[in-house]
Amino acid sequence: MTMAPPLFLALALAYAGLTSLSLAMKRHHDQVMGRKLQPERVRYYRWPGWLLLALSLWVTLTVWPLGLALFMAVGLVAIAGLPLVFLLPYRARLAGRLAVALPVLAMLTWSTVALA
Amino acid sequence: MNKSFRQSMAWLHTWTGLLLGWLLVAIFITGTSAYFREEITLWMQPEVHDSTLQPGTVELAMAALNAKAPDAKSWDINLPGDRQTAVELRWQPAKQPENGGRRRGEQMLMDADSGEVVAPRATRGGNFFYRFHFELYGIDRLWARLLVCLATMFMLIAIISGVITHKKIFKDFFTFRPGKGQRSWLDAHNATAVLALPYHFMITYSGLLLFMTLIMPWGIDAAYENDRRAFFSEVFSRGEDAAQPGSPGQMVAVGPLIEQTETRFGKPVERIQITNPNRDNAQITLRVNRDPAVTDRQRGGDPTQVFQGNTGELIDTRIPANDPVSPGWRIYNFFTSVHMARFADPLTRWLFFLFGIAGSAMTVTGMLLWVSKRTQQLRRDQQPDRALKMVNGLNMASITGLMLAIAAYFLANRLLPATLAAREDREIQVFFIIWLVSLVHGLLRPNRHGWIEQVAAASLLWLAIPVVNIFTTASHLFTPLAWQHAAIASFDLVCLTLAALGGYTLWRLQRKPLPAKARRARAPRRANTASEQPAGESP
Repeated sequence: MTMAPPLFLALALAYAGLTSLSLAMKRHHDQVMGRKLQPERVRYYRWPGWLLLALSLWVTLTVWPLGLALFMAVGLVAIAGLPLVFLLPYRARLAGRLAVALPVLAMLTWSTVALA
Repeated sequence: MNKSFRQSMAWLHTWTGLLLGWLLVAIFITGTSAYFREEITLWMQPEVHDSTLQPGTVELAMAALNAKAPDAKSWDINLPGDRQTAVELRWQPAKQPENGGRRRGEQMLMDADSGEVVAPRATRGGNFFYRFHFELYGIDRLWARLLVCLATMFMLIAIISGVITHKKIFKDFFTFRPGKGQRSWLDAHNATAVLALPYHFMITYSGLLLFMTLIMPWGIDAAYENDRRAFFSEVFSRGEDAAQPGSPGQMVAVGPLIEQTETRFGKPVERIQITNPNRDNAQITLRVNRDPAVTDRQRGGDPTQVFQGNTGELIDTRIPANDPVSPGWRIYNFFTSVHMARFADPLTRWLFFLFGIAGSAMTVTGMLLWVSKRTQQLRRDQQPDRALKMVNGLNMASITGLMLAIAAYFLANRLLPATLAAREDREIQVFFIIWLVSLVHGLLRPNRHGWIEQVAAASLLWLAIPVVNIFTTASHLFTPLAWQHAAIASFDLVCLTLAALGGYTLWRLQRKPLPAKARRARAPRRANTASEQPAGESP
């Protein structure tokens, strides 16, 4: 299962990217951060969001060949996005914390596996 | 113009969705299970669970074939892998039986440890769902495929019209507003549809591509002058027939050849084919699994080495992945590969399974939304009319009813006697009887009570599967054997997960009284209060 750590990372990055994109939207920024989104700060969330999604795609490219990697990246966005959508109304803060915790956890897992 | 266009698209989406929605739910759910069809078959034949690949397994397999069919035209040995524990032995008899015989020849299963032939209980296993996914059951194959193909086209229409209908596709991208009835179901339908939109599109479009020769045969008919067999043998060739058998002769040991192939490709040999065994022109073909490259050749795409049977001389080394592939083929291969995921390792397979669940969730929420919207539009004292009740009942049969029937199919596999005549058909009968019962029940009780009863029954049945397993097999969750082959333990764990999900749904359905119920509590009891909000209306 040498595929598992990079896959987990790709999934975590997709989740973080989508969360960041949602934070660039008024409604969800309110939910997660508990304060109003300043219009000039939108870019602080939007660009990192896309960047994280691009990173997620890059990780899938290291696991699978191009065609399959694109397909899987698209699928991972769906699998990562659904929990986010259903966390936001119930546990918005947790949704935000997971976006930070999951990629860190994934990178730690990968490095432990790589070192072991 | 713009507004009326969107309205007409909404109309198209609503009604095409409803018309073939029930079929689509069944296609999505059985198709999702089909990613694991070999694992399901494995689980359904507990007689072969206690079998693990050993260094001597290949010799045992050769001995078994030698005893069974020494003068066959060819032998095939499929060694155990992630998805199978026993050794599958196939052979083409020297003389075809009178009635033509099966194209794939004869087949038996062998225990990989002892070399004994095992005769597991008769079952259609996961293949039943796999077949149902694209040709249903009990209807003429061609008509069934046309019907599924039609549903697929409607699905494509529903996807496109759905995107046009969705007014705030970006603004509502991450939006789910719980506890608001129709609004919540719309949000859930949108979320499952939009987030996985590229996936839905690809799975639907590739589904149509797989039906390509069925729906657009005219080009082939013109080019091949109505000889469609010629087209298939040219384009989807299965390889040439073996040469005529030579005179009897000795074969070299296969073991060293396997080592040679495994060193060459750096992967374990999975399949061994021997044409003209025990003849002086025998050929031994060894294949390893290919890398998951989705645009490469579909058939015969595995790295292969061919040896001369009597000398052990290497004749040919083929790595089809390095062959040039035309762009048209690349596209066709890409779509059909990601649809069927035959290349996938277990982890990738799980991801495909999750994608399938997302697709199923989209169709299911769409169906529930249809009822929810119309229930909400009813005036306070108005009862749902017959059509709405019928749709609600059919929804129940197609969603909870199908889940009930699948669970019953698995339970029948464990509970029917292993030696029962026509056993595999009995299992399928149980499946359809339970499905029919749920349909009748759904039509009789097209209300919240009906939903609660069916969800409760489904949860119980799914919970019962791993429990019954404890009493009927030696490879249940509390044995090391189940965990030795991840597929077996995973099956029981998925059953438990589904039971838990059902239990959670039940709890939500029971806990929050619905608006209709609240109203009834306030108002004097009406004569006929059987019909309430559909289960759809849970928070």
